[in-house]
Amino acid sequence: MKKILAVVRREFVERVRTKAFVISTVLLPVFMVAMVLLPVLMMSGGDRTSRVALVDASTTNLGQRVSQALESEKIGKGADAKSRYTVQVFPATGDDLARVRDGLIAETGFSSSKKKDGWNGVMVLTDETLATGKLAYYGGNVGSLEAMSKLQRVVSSALTGVRLAKSGVDTALLKEAMKPADMDTTKVTDGKQTGQSGTESYLIAYFMGFILYIAILIYGQQTMTSVIEEKTSRIMEVLTSSLTPFQMLLGKVFGVGLAGLAQMAIWGGTVLVLSSQRLPLAGMFGMSADAAQSFPIPSMPPGLLVVFLLYFALGFMLYGALYAAIGAMCNTIQETQQYAIFVTVFIIVGFFAVFALIKDPTGPLGVTMSYVPFFAPFTMPVRWSLTSVPPMELVLSLTLMVLALLACVWLAARIYRTGILMYGKKPSWGELWRWIRA
Amino acid sequence: MTAASVRIESVTKRFSGHTAVNRLSMEIPSGGIFGLLGPNGAGKSTTIRLIMGILEPDEGRIVLFDSPHNSRALSQRIGYLPEERGLYKKMKVLDHLIFLGETKGIGRADARKRAQAWLERLGVSDWAQKKVEDLSKGMQQKVQFAGALLHEPELVILDEPFSGLDPVNAQVMKDIVVAIAAEGRTVLFSTHVMEQAERMCDRIAIIARGEMVVNGTVAQVKEDFGGRHVALGFTHDKARAANILADRALIARVDDYGASAELQMADGADPEQLLAALVREGVGLRRFEVVEPSLHAIFIAKVGADAATAPAGVAA
Repeated sequence: MKKILAVVRREFVERVRTKAFVISTVLLPVFMVAMVLLPVLMMSGGDRTSRVALVDASTTNLGQRVSQALESEKIGKGADAKSRYTVQVFPATGDDLARVRDGLIAETGFSSSKKKDGWNGVMVLTDETLATGKLAYYGGNVGSLEAMSKLQRVVSSALTGVRLAKSGVDTALLKEAMKPADMDTTKVTDGKQTGQSGTESYLIAYFMGFILYIAILIYGQQTMTSVIEEKTSRIMEVLTSSLTPFQMLLGKVFGVGLAGLAQMAIWGGTVLVLSSQRLPLAGMFGMSADAAQSFPIPSMPPGLLVVFLLYFALGFMLYGALYAAIGAMCNTIQETQQYAIFVTVFIIVGFFAVFALIKDPTGPLGVTMSYVPFFAPFTMPVRWSLTSVPPMELVLSLTLMVLALLACVWLAARIYRTGILMYGKKPSWGELWRWIRA
Repeated sequence: MTAASVRIESVTKRFSGHTAVNRLSMEIPSGGIFGLLGPNGAGKSTTIRLIMGILEPDEGRIVLFDSPHNSRALSQRIGYLPEERGLYKKMKVLDHLIFLGETKGIGRADARKRAQAWLERLGVSDWAQKKVEDLSKGMQQKVQFAGALLHEPELVILDEPFSGLDPVNAQVMKDIVVAIAAEGRTVLFSTHVMEQAERMCDRIAIIARGEMVVNGTVAQVKEDFGGRHVALGFTHDKARAANILADRALIARVDDYGASAELQMADGADPEQLLAALVREGVGLRRFEVVEPSLHAIFIAKVGADAATAPAGVAA
């Protein structure tokens, strides 16, 4: 036991001291913050008021109705919210439609300072619009799917209103009838509200899967590399004379795992500090307090945290043992690739299962995968965060994981015992089998 | 039965294709310096790895300290310097020694004290906070040597301990090995440098092709080898000695070093006859001495000239 601790300490201390560790500890949060901030900043760019020129070639004064609908769209909520669109209607007849339209288009879509950008877009309404829904829009922002679908939605509902009014429905009633649904989502676990919104659950699930994926890939590979290093530096021979393969393997996997956890703890701490300070920080980035509030930093309920850490630790060691065994089988990093690919496939399948689960947390795929030890570390915490998992299922899944872990460590220790002293030649599958049985 | 540190009983180890150790039996008594000699590829390192439990014998068994446990369970009592030197390159020297001590079951604080003392003794204490990779090969070897001895084992197993060291460092190591033996501990080391073994060892075993060739105390081995031996030193006209040296009625075996030679007299031949013949031919002599056979001569006689001509300093 004391010897295992010595190995754990060595692995941990030597790893944490490296430049690579320090750099990755600092850089990854920067990278992740950028990943979160960039889309927010980009999306907030879409929240500018668009100037729309409305060419009305209809005979039913359709332009005015659509323009009213567009102008009543607001950005954000509350009394001081800006209009999403400013609209100017240009009446046209069938004859001069093309001329009016082309004249407006000629003033549209300038982003440089060469010429004043007259319009963000030109919308053309005709009689056919009311009849079949056909209309045309010319603009600089047609590539933005979100902006287009929003615009289309507004026009659609305006058209619906006009059509209904035409068939004699009262305008007041119409307004009442067309009020959109506004749904607030709250996650329920064990009959209790958790206070998490749907977005938060989703973010947590995604975040957990991502962290595990990154951690296993990076630290698993590190475990493998460090075994190879021990073989090439021949230190292994001294170690095998005083340590059992089990001690070496367990010490290594634990030590590397602790280094990984330490890094996670630093990152977790950073997130906590950042989220508690998000208002002043948002100010620094020039975001309104409102935008900062809407930018969710999920909190993890303690139950989920425990489940996540449990699966994280088990999954990490499971894959760590596999990677160490691969390291013991090979002599160079290049050689490991053909074996490591199998493990990587498991990890990737596990990671992508998270997306399937987010879509359908109670489906048979997710349930099955949370029993398979190689996938459970990814899928079970996600299931737990998205739906309520019966305790029996959790216990069963954890038991399977522990059994698989023991089996893997045993198997890896067998390979380790023989493989760590094999220099020069790669084992065949047959030889590998003999090592395990020996 | 005397107390034996290591008892090897009819051990065989095969690797795919060849037998590295073939029904080898030997006993390394407690105390003193035991030399394991043999040409390259004789199975010295394999034998040592078998003793260390790094390899398992296919047949036979190895008993350490007359105990039923294997070397890993007894590793606190054994120090091991493998032939393939290896340290963690990125670790600091002192940390590394502490770690090696810990793997032998020494407490951390104690290990630190001992490591510092050893670095002092080996004259590398200035390097304690340097990374291993910054050290020269010779220095790394000294560090690893210290790592093998840190826990004051009662059995020290050194595989080619002096290879790759300059004379000064080899001297330092030699002194330490002798000091260990003087404390009543046991040293087993392998080498193919016969002069060294001859000077240091109480007992030797020569193995070749995985089999025991000679085994016993150095004096006993020499006595058993028998014959009368003459050491010659030439000054000039060595060519004139060629015919005499080729005379099989006079001389059984010649080990020619150029400026000197070691001869084994043929049965019934007299060293005086040889001296007379050499003087008659006018060979210039600076030395003519009737000597004990050197281990080197015994080694070559027993193992064969081809095996012994392999360059010194190459690990077997």
